[in-house]
Amino acid sequence: MIKSSLSKNNSEAVLELKDIFKTYTSGNTTFNALDGVSLKIKKGEFVSITGPSGSGKSTLMHVVGLLDNPTSGQVLLEGRDISKLKEEQLAKIRNVTLGFVFQQFNLLAKTSSLENVMLPLLYSDVPKNKRKSLALEMLAKVGLIDKLKNTPAQLSGGQQQRVAIARALVNNPKIILADEPTGNLDSKSGKDVMELFHQLNRKEGRNIVLVTHDMDLAREADRIIIIKDGKINISHA
Amino acid sequence: MLKPSLDDLIKSSVRSILKNKGRTILTSLGIIIGVTSVILLTSIGNGLKGYISDQFESLGSNTIFIAPGKIFDDKGGFSNSSGPSSRFIFTTFSQSDVTDLKRALRGSTIVPMSIGIVNIKSSKTTKTNVTIVGSTYQYASSANYQPSGGNGRSFTKEEEDKKSDVIVLGYSLANDLFPNGSALNKKIVVKSKNMKIIGILDKKGGSFGGPDVDQYAFTPLGNVFDFNGTQNINQILIKTPSKDLVPQVKIEAKNAMLKKFNKDAFTVFDSSQLLSSINTIIGTLTVALAGIAAISLVVGGIGIMNIMLVTVSERTREIGLRKAIGAYPSAILIQFLIEAIILSSIGGFIGILLGSLGASAINNFFPARVTISSILIAFGVSALVGIIFGIAPARRASRLSPIEALRYE
Repeated sequence: MIKSSLSKNNSEAVLELKDIFKTYTSGNTTFNALDGVSLKIKKGEFVSITGPSGSGKSTLMHVVGLLDNPTSGQVLLEGRDISKLKEEQLAKIRNVTLGFVFQQFNLLAKTSSLENVMLPLLYSDVPKNKRKSLALEMLAKVGLIDKLKNTPAQLSGGQQQRVAIARALVNNPKIILADEPTGNLDSKSGKDVMELFHQLNRKEGRNIVLVTHDMDLAREADRIIIIKDGKINISHA
Repeated sequence: MLKPSLDDLIKSSVRSILKNKGRTILTSLGIIIGVTSVILLTSIGNGLKGYISDQFESLGSNTIFIAPGKIFDDKGGFSNSSGPSSRFIFTTFSQSDVTDLKRALRGSTIVPMSIGIVNIKSSKTTKTNVTIVGSTYQYASSANYQPSGGNGRSFTKEEEDKKSDVIVLGYSLANDLFPNGSALNKKIVVKSKNMKIIGILDKKGGSFGGPDVDQYAFTPLGNVFDFNGTQNINQILIKTPSKDLVPQVKIEAKNAMLKKFNKDAFTVFDSSQLLSSINTIIGTLTVALAGIAAISLVVGGIGIMNIMLVTVSERTREIGLRKAIGAYPSAILIQFLIEAIILSSIGGFIGILLGSLGASAINNFFPARVTISSILIAFGVSALVGIIFGIAPARRASRLSPIEALRYE
């Protein structure tokens, strides 16, 4: 098991959830997808969230990723309560503070790797003349500088996911949220992607939040959060 | 500040449109057809207006007419009033009215016109129901109906005073009477009176719907009085010394006529007034036709809305992704709106091109004029169609929840 060495002693929470509920109502029945979840993610921590399907891990991921508003409870990002922010402000935070990596890669079809990586910069304050060099830097970091003109269809799954990681990194986010990032990859490519996450965590001190149903993968993190029936079941190192 | 910047948005819209070239052309087809027909119809309307203006220009801008009946209504259009004041009940004027006008309007040329319908017989053939205009020697110069070099002359003051047996023929009338060879100096019989053809007018061409001057015959006033058996004058033409005097002379003429006639029994008007009335009619007609053509623009707009809705659902995941990585709702809205505008503008551009080509082809046999303003309006309207029919799909895109969108298969 690999332990993160950077900023380990710093107990400052990058992200904190306080008593989060996410309730869905259908007719007379209510269903708590998240049932009073509280957790802290410390700076530089590599955390995995795992649990059986339907356990609420995706909902938790969406709340952590500011893609979904909790029904009640507080979400503190670097100490700032973001539960009551407007859609525009949340979009801005997602743009600069968070980086998303999806199971399906979600690259734009018929669009080059370079332009896919540049996509988040369209919505950022980064001046136009710096965008290309930033994107090239990220492609180099994931080892795909020679594929910058290739479209997703011309890349293997593992390469596509690395382009997606480059895209997640381009705005220099503090937290990378990865939702089953190896789910569509063969084991070799999956290992490469996981190795990339470890490097980003160790060398650059980025927080990684990995959502997976695969216990073996989850164990690679500093800390595993197991969620079941909308409640945190175990959170251990 | 708008993020992404406008040029980034346009770039990405153009790219996604180019990904589906065939679909783009098919989608734009409705707009292409709509804009083409609007451009064609307005160009015909404008061409007609220009053509009629040119015809009036040739009459000269210092010409005033006095005609029987009430021709114009109070709004400047043609009167359609019925009843005793209707223009269909013709007042006629007399020589004494002409004399009074001459006295009242010193400095202007007063040209009375009497109109008759006669049969004309040449050595070859007979033409029935020919309009013959009797007037003074000043008519030819005032109305700009003078034979050009080699085609004879118009009649003189002496010939007018002596009621000489001379006649000037319109271009096609002369050709009809003498199909082989020139009619000049030939004899014809007009209502049992032998007359000599002293001049043939140049081809004027009939105005649309108006009288065909090429089929007219012209002779001294007294001859038509004899043909008609009355001394009635049907119309009076006044030529002022200069254009600036037209408004003043019009008032003086009207006042002189009002001493003898009811105000609805006659109309004093100048060519600009007639022209503006005709232009009003053609303008209304053009707008109506263009409006009908514009229906196809609406159909085209619906086509664009349809394809944009398809695009939005096809690209649901992309929208979700964009939102997840920081696109705020209005950025998505603007992106899809711009796509719709570009789609319809492409249609507008092609339509303008086709319409202009069509108009220049039509112009070979019918006056058609494409104006800058009609091009700008057509382009503006097609962009507007893009906005109107693009807003609903764009709003749908902007309101997609990122989670739902990312989950979409």
